[in-house]
Amino acid sequence: MERFAFLGRFARNRGALAGTVIILLVAFAALSAPVFFPTDPLRMVAQPELWPGEDPAFPLGTDSLGRDMLAMLVHGARATLLIGLFASAVATLIGVSVGAAAGYFGGWIDETAMRAVELFQTIPNLIFVLTIVVILGSTLHNIVIAIGIVSWTPIARMTRAEFLALRDREFVQACRSMGMGDFGIIVREILPNALPPVIVLSSLVVAGAILFESAVSFLGLGDPNIASWGRLVGDGRELIRSSWYICAIPGVAIMVTVLCLNLIGDGLNDALNPKLRDR
Amino acid sequence: MGNKEGVMNQISRRVFGTGVLATGLVGSLVHSSRAQGEPKRGGTLVATWGGGEPQACYVPAGGGSSPTFSSSKLFERLGNRKMTGEFVGELAEEWKPAPDFKSYTVKIRKGVKFHDGKPMTVDDVIYSVSEIWKKYAAAPALSDFAGIETSGDDAVVFKFNKPTPEFFFASLLCGNVNYIVPKHVYAGTDPVTNPANNAPIGTGPWKFKEWVRGSHFEYVKNESYWRPGFPYMDRLIIRYVRDPAGRAAAIEAGEIHIGVFNPIAPPDIKRLTATGKFVATSKGYEESVWATTLECNMRNPVFAKTEVRQAMFHAIDRNLIAKTVYYGYARPGTGPIFSPNKEFFTPDTYKTGFDPKKAAALLDAAGFPKKGSAKRFTLNLLAAGWFAENGKIGSYVKQALEDVGVGINLTVPDRPSSIKRIYTDYDFDLAISNQSNPSEPVPTTTQYYTSDGIKKGIPFRNASGFHTDEVDALVEKIKIETDPAKRKAMVVEFQKIISKEAPLLPLLELESTTVASTKVQNHSNDPNYLAASWHDIWMAS
Repeated sequence: MERFAFLGRFARNRGALAGTVIILLVAFAALSAPVFFPTDPLRMVAQPELWPGEDPAFPLGTDSLGRDMLAMLVHGARATLLIGLFASAVATLIGVSVGAAAGYFGGWIDETAMRAVELFQTIPNLIFVLTIVVILGSTLHNIVIAIGIVSWTPIARMTRAEFLALRDREFVQACRSMGMGDFGIIVREILPNALPPVIVLSSLVVAGAILFESAVSFLGLGDPNIASWGRLVGDGRELIRSSWYICAIPGVAIMVTVLCLNLIGDGLNDALNPKLRDR
Repeated sequence: MGNKEGVMNQISRRVFGTGVLATGLVGSLVHSSRAQGEPKRGGTLVATWGGGEPQACYVPAGGGSSPTFSSSKLFERLGNRKMTGEFVGELAEEWKPAPDFKSYTVKIRKGVKFHDGKPMTVDDVIYSVSEIWKKYAAAPALSDFAGIETSGDDAVVFKFNKPTPEFFFASLLCGNVNYIVPKHVYAGTDPVTNPANNAPIGTGPWKFKEWVRGSHFEYVKNESYWRPGFPYMDRLIIRYVRDPAGRAAAIEAGEIHIGVFNPIAPPDIKRLTATGKFVATSKGYEESVWATTLECNMRNPVFAKTEVRQAMFHAIDRNLIAKTVYYGYARPGTGPIFSPNKEFFTPDTYKTGFDPKKAAALLDAAGFPKKGSAKRFTLNLLAAGWFAENGKIGSYVKQALEDVGVGINLTVPDRPSSIKRIYTDYDFDLAISNQSNPSEPVPTTTQYYTSDGIKKGIPFRNASGFHTDEVDALVEKIKIETDPAKRKAMVVEFQKIISKEAPLLPLLELESTTVASTKVQNHSNDPNYLAASWHDIWMAS
């Protein structure tokens, strides 16, 4: 029952609903890419700079090297979504661990953790990502790790704030008086209650991660063995005055996906925030 | 050529800058066919190039194309090479070999003054050669240099331990940064850190006035220049614009009059020249041809067999790369010496043309048969990220080699990582890199293929690890052969051997472009125009 109420509240936000539908479509495209485009999307298959619609075999045209834009876009959705999800998972894992420890234990653990958070926050994110990618090498998982490392700080702060608010509540004290261990209290009692706002934040980190990946690929530091949207935009920029669609198509894909993820984040916020329940 | 301008601001194209880089300024006036009527005097010329600001206005060791561009307007060389290929004196009047070719007497031009008013003398020449050339600017070329001394008031004698061919010597005098610098400014200091490098005092047609960092150099006319009546213009501004789109806009708006070395992207070249107000030319790069190379790391045992290396080249369609990646501003390379090299080039080399069937057959024969869908072997392909085109070529080469059953992991590291991985760590199986060589093959070209070129940590040398006694011995003979015909025959032999051995070959020879307003006259009239003095350039109103 409670679950249906949640979905109802989520669906009441029309934007979130539309966002979900579009993201599901993108996810479907990503999953079906190997079925519809079984060959390497980075293969040169036709004449370069074929405009969209010029040749029915390549509905979105070809890029400056004669690679199928549609195939790259669909395969790019895989890379882009994978990077977004995994980077968000890495950031959430680090953020929740650090934030929970800081909020629950307080004292020197809190002090140390929060100074670390501030340290990370003072480094410009994009520069930090680029530095990590340059040092570790431009492979898919290094990019995921790099984005995770720069994106965890807001999650840590949010988790800490929730833990600070919850750690002295009656139900927690009850658990303590029953002799429950710290780890059990953190994971089984406080975390489920602290999670809703963290989930909202994580969904936004997915969007941020996609933008980071696009920037990294745009600057030519992405994994050259995979198709990604940012790389497509980067490759097409020198042709912006003649064949602007090469930049525009993946650019629109990035914009729509990030927008939809933000809408979903809003919807989740509406659905999970009890104070907004009766709005 | 393609959009390499984009990454040019992080890289220096002439990274070595130490070789004997024969270059020339046109000594006498050669009016281009576009020049109409009498040259107009006065005015300010604003120039740019397809790269970024230099680390210093003048770098004694060369330091790349950027400082070569900025310093070559202020300093001059002893000799220069003309478009027609002949060598002419610049600060030297003439030079003559001794009968045994172990020494050369060079007569120095009289009446030349440095920008600070002091006269240029044989002392300046001796200082420049023994302290700057030998130690920084031309160290590898001067490996057999035995010393330099005066011979009367106006001549010097270069001495060598071994016979030195005339073409080699003339090329040395014309080397890119083999300038005559003022002894009274440099003596007793460390030339590398001398503050004068950022406000050079030379003998050239232009005098340094100001460097506004992040923006431009301002040079003014040298009123006491030794060529009477030159330069035509009053001021020369070298402006730096970070990206090619910005350069295209500035050229289009008339803020920049001339851009050398691929200032703008090929699609913009078409757009600008179509208006009739701008011209694009590939002239002026005959002595500084750039190539994109593919290099096999011989440390990987799969490359032990010559057939495997040849197969790599047969699998790649270079015409396709020229067309799609370089928009036609490139042509397939045929051997270690590039086709504009009039003295030494031979088209008669082992042909590694596009032939995937032959590539597959060679790999089969070498003991790497294809079993079903399994790869024959897998290689790490490194495309040096200093030019954006290299990454694109990397994607294509990956596809082409996978088509013949070779697995490829492609990486495109940035400039410092690429240099480290190719030339220090040798951490690659196949590398896509670039080189630019002068006409004289020794040492710049040959040290990619000889055992003395294997110098860990020194960029743009022999990174493939290829060496045979045959090639080493041949290069030693080329070094000291003074008969031009015999020497040419040896260099032809060298090209045949290397093209067949295929440790490293140019995939493509690149065509650099200069884009200028149609008002600019007398440009691109030197075989290495980027490094020319530009004393005869002028602008119509």
